[in-house]
Amino acid sequence: MREQAIVEKILKEAPYAEGKVRRERRVEFTVPAERIKDFLMTLKENSFELMLQITVVDWLKDGEYELVYQMWSITHRTHAMVRTRIPRELDKARMPTVRDIYPAAETYERDAHDFFGVYFEGNEKMEMPWILDDKEQGLFPHRKDFDMLGYVKRKYKILDRFDENKDNYVI
Amino acid sequence: MMVSQSELVREARENGMDLLPLDKDTYELFFGPQHMATENFSIILKMDGHRVVKAIANPGFLHRGFEKLAEYRPWHTNIALLLRICVPEPDVPEAIYSMATEEILGWEIPERAQWIRTTVLEMARVSAYLFWIMGLSFKLGVYTAGQWAAAYRERLMALFEQLTGARVYHIYTIPGGVRRDIPNDRWLRQLKDTVEYIKGKLPDFDHLVFENYITFRRMEGIGVMDKKFALAEGVTGPNIRATGVPYDVRRADPYLLYPELDFEVPVLKDGDALARALVRRYELEQDLYILEQLVEMGPPGGPYKVEDPRLKNLPRFKVPAGDAFAHVESTKGDFGAYVVSDGKNKPYRVQIRGPSIAHGIRVLEQLLVGARIADVPVILMSLDNCPPDIDR
Repeated sequence: MREQAIVEKILKEAPYAEGKVRRERRVEFTVPAERIKDFLMTLKENSFELMLQITVVDWLKDGEYELVYQMWSITHRTHAMVRTRIPRELDKARMPTVRDIYPAAETYERDAHDFFGVYFEGNEKMEMPWILDDKEQGLFPHRKDFDMLGYVKRKYKILDRFDENKDNYVI
Repeated sequence: MMVSQSELVREARENGMDLLPLDKDTYELFFGPQHMATENFSIILKMDGHRVVKAIANPGFLHRGFEKLAEYRPWHTNIALLLRICVPEPDVPEAIYSMATEEILGWEIPERAQWIRTTVLEMARVSAYLFWIMGLSFKLGVYTAGQWAAAYRERLMALFEQLTGARVYHIYTIPGGVRRDIPNDRWLRQLKDTVEYIKGKLPDFDHLVFENYITFRRMEGIGVMDKKFALAEGVTGPNIRATGVPYDVRRADPYLLYPELDFEVPVLKDGDALARALVRRYELEQDLYILEQLVEMGPPGGPYKVEDPRLKNLPRFKVPAGDAFAHVESTKGDFGAYVVSDGKNKPYRVQIRGPSIAHGIRVLEQLLVGARIADVPVILMSLDNCPPDIDR
């Protein structure tokens, strides 16, 4: 099986990672957060040319952020998910930047920082304004404990039209 | 007549233009979001005369928080929300979200639904390319072709309206299949006629736009990127195919009926604005060819969505815990969705990967350096930057 061979080859070069085949043309790796740079370097050497996105998933119950690096290999025609977990406290949610390996990551890291507050060390554009306005900086609205309804009510001054105590609105 | 710099500044100020002199020769110019070419997107340009010294992309004017809102809504309701991420071809976000959800559910959608989805996606591609021709020709100053393209797109809009009930935002592809069946055989005949009609009009577009001396003079040699740069920056779609990389999701990661269809992936090597425009022109031809094949194939019989008792009560429709990534080829590039479920009736996380986030920020900033102010809209249009992809 083609995918199995890819996973085995990469795991041989990076023994600290775990990997498996999800299905045809889909593989998945889990790496510790501090080894992410080494692992992405290994992936790039194994011709995973494109970085498609960095997704942050906020696992509130576990107290962790899951970062999923979506990679695509044009040579192998395979999609790889590289998962890693970091604590979700804002002062501890820090990752090394992978901008020097995949320059495209700079934009994705800015996106992750704006909405989740993950700080990528070494990315010079981290403090530059991205999508959110100045007033919304530091709110990190995609975090699961962000009070979206309360924010909307306060911002647009529609407090009287909603019941404060009702919690299952579908806005 | 020579005018000194200070006189220009004074004149600009008197006319209410806020030119900010950075030093003796350099000016800061806010290009967009009101500018017609940028479409709700802004670029801060540092200009030396009429040359760009530095460009800073400034997104965020279209941010509506779809990814966050999707976490508060039932699975099927999200279709009406997420399709607004890509305005010219809203079927693409519908399709990727549905494909990812189906992968988590382990559903195999019926053949008839696959045929309808493929047709809808290809119709969306053709209409998006016609829309793009409109934008390009307006920026080049050949207005007639643009108005024709808008008029021909209207024929596809009418077909969409008959099929889905809506012209622009179709809300048609749902997890499990499609929302409605094909209305009648007359619709198929109309589709065939429309494809034939647009195909017959392609020589006119060639004559007016793609073989035009103005196009060549305006687009040749500007905004050049090479293969290595494009790969490192994560550029996909026609933009990377214009640098010589034959990457097309329909070939590389086949979905729906694409393995059974015969089409070519046009590749050019120059990597400039002209090459990108020509790749799109050739792809339009291929898409019409695909639609011809689909019409000839005819929709297979059977149901148009999965027969599952859970689909009868959509607000309580639950998806087992898991995650999946699905992507399709849009006219802008590789459009992907990463969907996470935790077993509830709402998705836990939806992330849409728009292709413009790769070529609309860093690549644009680097390609604009050294360009003339008049070339800025042309480079933007040749990249086919779609700001809602970036902002979401």
